[in-house]
Amino acid sequence: MSVLTDRAIVAAGLAPIAEARRAGDLARVRELASILETADLLAVGALADRIRADESGDVVRIFANVLADLGADVVQVSLADENRLGFAILRRVAIARITGPRAARVRVDWSESGLEVAQVALGFGASELVGPIANRRGLPIADGSALKVKGQGMVQVQALKKKELESLLAIAGRRAVFAESSPRPSTESANHV
Amino acid sequence: MSDLRPESKPDAKLDPIARKVRAGERLSFEDGVALFHHPDLLAIGQLANEVREKLHGDRTYFNRNMRIEVTNVCVASCLFCSFAKLEEGAPGAVTMKLEEAWRELEVRMSDPPAEIHIVNGLHPGLPFSYYEELLKGFKRIKPDVHMKCFTAVEIHFFAQHYGMTHEQVLVRLREAGLDSLPGGGAEIFHPEVRSRISHDKATAEEYLEVHRVAHRLGMATNATMLYGHIETFEHRVDHMLRLRALQDESMSSPARLQAFIPLAFHPDGNGMKNLPAPTGIDDLRTLAVSRLMMDNIPHLKAYWVSMTPKIAQVGLRFGADDLDGTIVHETIYSAAGSTSPSGLKYDQLVRLIREAGRIPVERDTLYNVVREHAREALPEAAFKVKDRKAEKHLVVL
Repeated sequence: MSVLTDRAIVAAGLAPIAEARRAGDLARVRELASILETADLLAVGALADRIRADESGDVVRIFANVLADLGADVVQVSLADENRLGFAILRRVAIARITGPRAARVRVDWSESGLEVAQVALGFGASELVGPIANRRGLPIADGSALKVKGQGMVQVQALKKKELESLLAIAGRRAVFAESSPRPSTESANHV
Repeated sequence: MSDLRPESKPDAKLDPIARKVRAGERLSFEDGVALFHHPDLLAIGQLANEVREKLHGDRTYFNRNMRIEVTNVCVASCLFCSFAKLEEGAPGAVTMKLEEAWRELEVRMSDPPAEIHIVNGLHPGLPFSYYEELLKGFKRIKPDVHMKCFTAVEIHFFAQHYGMTHEQVLVRLREAGLDSLPGGGAEIFHPEVRSRISHDKATAEEYLEVHRVAHRLGMATNATMLYGHIETFEHRVDHMLRLRALQDESMSSPARLQAFIPLAFHPDGNGMKNLPAPTGIDDLRTLAVSRLMMDNIPHLKAYWVSMTPKIAQVGLRFGADDLDGTIVHETIYSAAGSTSPSGLKYDQLVRLIREAGRIPVERDTLYNVVREHAREALPEAAFKVKDRKAEKHLVVL
């Protein structure tokens, strides 16, 4: 995080929220949160990204084609509303991180946001991605399907797609960890925003 | 949480660049490459946004336009193209009769576009008079419509194919109704890339020369860059610097480059189909670096067709001040697998801009203001984006 973003956070009037968050005063953060709805998006994103880096590190957990657990520390950002555009999605993710519990697992479903926006959301506080592995047309790719790749022979398409996703995150400066499988837990403990 | 004090974390790479930008100094090739490699995307976005707001405030431009591609028959064999068919009569090859092309406008005269944007394949079998008649016909239907037609690559092809100079081609087309040139065909200028992805059409120098001549003749133009395939960040910066140099030359001409439009590569159905498409982060970073590098090109478009409306909207905070227009019927990106819709309604564009906290400004092709809207948002129900090929947002893996 650079001086530029530091200054943007201060200029956007977000310093008191940053201070409260640093002091662990979540009640105060939530009291001040209304400014997050109107403050400069990049400043809100920068604050969220800083909190994410400090509290959750650079690892991105990915639930591709597997059921994601819904523990108490999960904040699932619901983006199902088709009206929501890039700006609103990113702001919602950032607010979830800033006002959410410490070290929360802020999760975005790329089948709702689109993968491009989901990737950008990783810079706005998200730390988990969930969604189906599909082709460019949105059709699911079968478990057993394979593809001939020059120099590699026959390759499982799902493995190939996971590799692509991994490098996509590396470009965003993050490290991907794929969740292999998870039992479906109770949905009652998850936080939905 | 890490410290917020500004003096706590100097950034040896970004701080000197930020100082240059704020002092109005030009960025160097090395600065551009450093911006592409810098990990802090939001900081680069902040810097680009400062420049954008200094130039345009919150104003964000769009227009009422429509796209027509009258032929996809093309003698060039560009690796990235999913649109062109090499020969007339090949499956999928289309060449419109003039009446068919004019009909595209006639059926829209109840809500007519202010601009018609025509880009075609390099058809070897059509007479030059076809293009002249094409323009004249549109002007007959709507005399005040702005004809933004034929890329510099097409103009160069016409010159070679019909035995004329660039100037002769442009003058004849202007007499027929041509008003300005679109920016397509630039791809990547650097020969290391251009020779591999589009070896058999206008070179970088020929592309730039056509624009130079157009500017001398008083014809405004745009410029593009196709990114996210085999090129490096160095190639992108080189591309930007060549355009910046052209614009410097054109400052003494009666017209110049109006806008730069970075175009994201889409891999479906073309010779580079094994490459992944560029990511949302790459789209935003490319917009931001473009804004910072090309200090003499006034407008930067987040072309929603190539980067999806969602990312284009976010791009309005990363240096972009223009969303292009309603477009109506785009086919080139569609052929390459873009999941963006083929057109956006006027109100949809207005809402896209307002939700980004900007002021929607309808412009004509030459950036004269047609209507400046109020800043307030429209009701939620006024807008709904659906992907072109599915009911809901698609997964792009």
